[in-house]
Amino acid sequence: MGIVLSNIIAIYRRELQSYFVSPLAYAIAGIFWFITGLFFVMILLGPDGILPAVATIDLQAQQGVPIPPIDVPYEFIRAFLDRMGWLLLFILPILSMGLYAEERKRGTLELLATSPITNWAVALGKLLGVLTFFTTMVVPMLVFEAIAISGSNPPMSPSIPLLAHLGLILLAAAILSIGMFISSLTDSTILSAVLTFAVILLLLLIDLIAKIVPAPVGEALGYLSLLKHYNTLIQGIFDSSSLILFASYIFLGIFLTAQSIDALRFQRQ
Amino acid sequence: MIEVEHLSKIYGSTPAITDVTFSVEPGEILGLLGPNGAGKTTTMRILAGYLPATNGNARIAGYDVHENSLAVRQRIGYLPETPPLYPDMTVEGFLHFVARIKGVSAGDRTNKVVAAIKRCNLEDKQRVIIRKLSKGYRQRVGIAQAIVHDPPAIILDEPTVGLDPRQIIEVRNLIKSLGGTHTIILSTHILPEVSMTCNRVAIINRGKVVATNTPENLMTQLTGGSGYEIEIEGEAALAKQVLQNIAGVSLVESIPTAGMHTHQPQADRAYLRVISQPGKEPGRDIATTLVRAGFGLHELRRVNATLEDVFLQLTTEEKHLEAVTEGEAA
Repeated sequence: MGIVLSNIIAIYRRELQSYFVSPLAYAIAGIFWFITGLFFVMILLGPDGILPAVATIDLQAQQGVPIPPIDVPYEFIRAFLDRMGWLLLFILPILSMGLYAEERKRGTLELLATSPITNWAVALGKLLGVLTFFTTMVVPMLVFEAIAISGSNPPMSPSIPLLAHLGLILLAAAILSIGMFISSLTDSTILSAVLTFAVILLLLLIDLIAKIVPAPVGEALGYLSLLKHYNTLIQGIFDSSSLILFASYIFLGIFLTAQSIDALRFQRQ
Repeated sequence: MIEVEHLSKIYGSTPAITDVTFSVEPGEILGLLGPNGAGKTTTMRILAGYLPATNGNARIAGYDVHENSLAVRQRIGYLPETPPLYPDMTVEGFLHFVARIKGVSAGDRTNKVVAAIKRCNLEDKQRVIIRKLSKGYRQRVGIAQAIVHDPPAIILDEPTVGLDPRQIIEVRNLIKSLGGTHTIILSTHILPEVSMTCNRVAIINRGKVVATNTPENLMTQLTGGSGYEIEIEGEAALAKQVLQNIAGVSLVESIPTAGMHTHQPQADRAYLRVISQPGKEPGRDIATTLVRAGFGLHELRRVNATLEDVFLQLTTEEKHLEAVTEGEAA
């Protein structure tokens, strides 16, 4: 057990280290921060933003129209993380595309495959590595949120942002896990990114497809939707079925990756 | 230490290797010699546990490479055709990583990494990013990677390919220094390489092992002495002794019965190949000596050097390299 853990940590550290010396990773982080900053401003101050809307409501309230109060920080967190979910669709395939495709191209997969280390330990270490990189990308965003939440009166329950961010990390882990599997199927990073993008788009939109499909199948399909479960969590609603769904995606990704690496060795020409 | 028995690998319907059998004793350096595409890489990949064999089995240190894959992987170092390197790591960092996934304990790791770096002459490059290394240094890091955990068996696929003459000499010396304490299999398509580094050679062509011998004997076979194939009734070992004493005979060896085409081999018969010294024709003496010694002679025929077609495809000359060696000697 200790050996397995040590192996996972070795893979994890190598993977993480490779992001921190990669210009591509910094470019992605930069773009990510720029866009999230844009979101922050747009959501609060943009034409359809929350603050102008609140100003209108205030005006109406002064004129005596009874309107329920609006919780600005809560609305902000929800709207902010909702857009983030869509941003992940573009960012994460680029982070996951090289996980295995690069190893295949460089021939280092041959090193991993001939070392006393199991396929799933490699997959788990890699997933944890890329997830950690993503999490560090998210940390600066907390500044935006802190600004918004600090204005909250009465103070917001900490469980709401906590759950919302757990949702964000879980969504990212699910997407990265699927992306990792797709990356293990090819030695072209571009192909891996494009395929991952398509598959994740499908999993995000499966909700819409489910509405067209008749009841039992449609309902089942709807349950698979990543976005639906993500939305539940970012509203601060704790739903164990959402957690299980994300966990299933993550597990499935790792499992399929380990299998595909095994299969690769059997059919290799 | 390494036993390979009747190993076959078939891709789709094309066989890559067929019925490959050889063994390597502890501390021995075995060269797999053959032209490109002969099946050397496939054989090595199976031994390293990277590919499963279609048929047959291979054992390293007593463990089956397929059934006990993890146990085998702990005991081998493997350098594939292209050294498996992470370009964004430093030499030192990479070797630490490899030592770790090979299961070297934390307390031992630094010592082993330092030893591997020293052994491969990488001291002045240990903090350099691998991307910035020249091809020769990368190859050395590849070898360091294969020996960092001090494995009993080392598998090196074309360890000198693409290196300049000086680097080739260094790598060969390194491999020789590893022999004795490690069991090594290396592949090459360069004929002089095996005579310089290996204790024994297995020649592989079109997926089959066509000869296994010491480099000296193979050289004799190669450099044009004609040969005879003999079928006799009687003890093979005894016949060998008798034949060896005939003037003009340089080598006597058993022919693997699997290689006989003419008819079914019979249990009480011995099948031998006699290689004569260049320019000598001991055929007549062979016949009389055998008959006098009481062996029933069933067949004696002259054959051309059987390895000729293999060697034609091998690189037999290393002119530029010899020039360097001579330069150093002078």
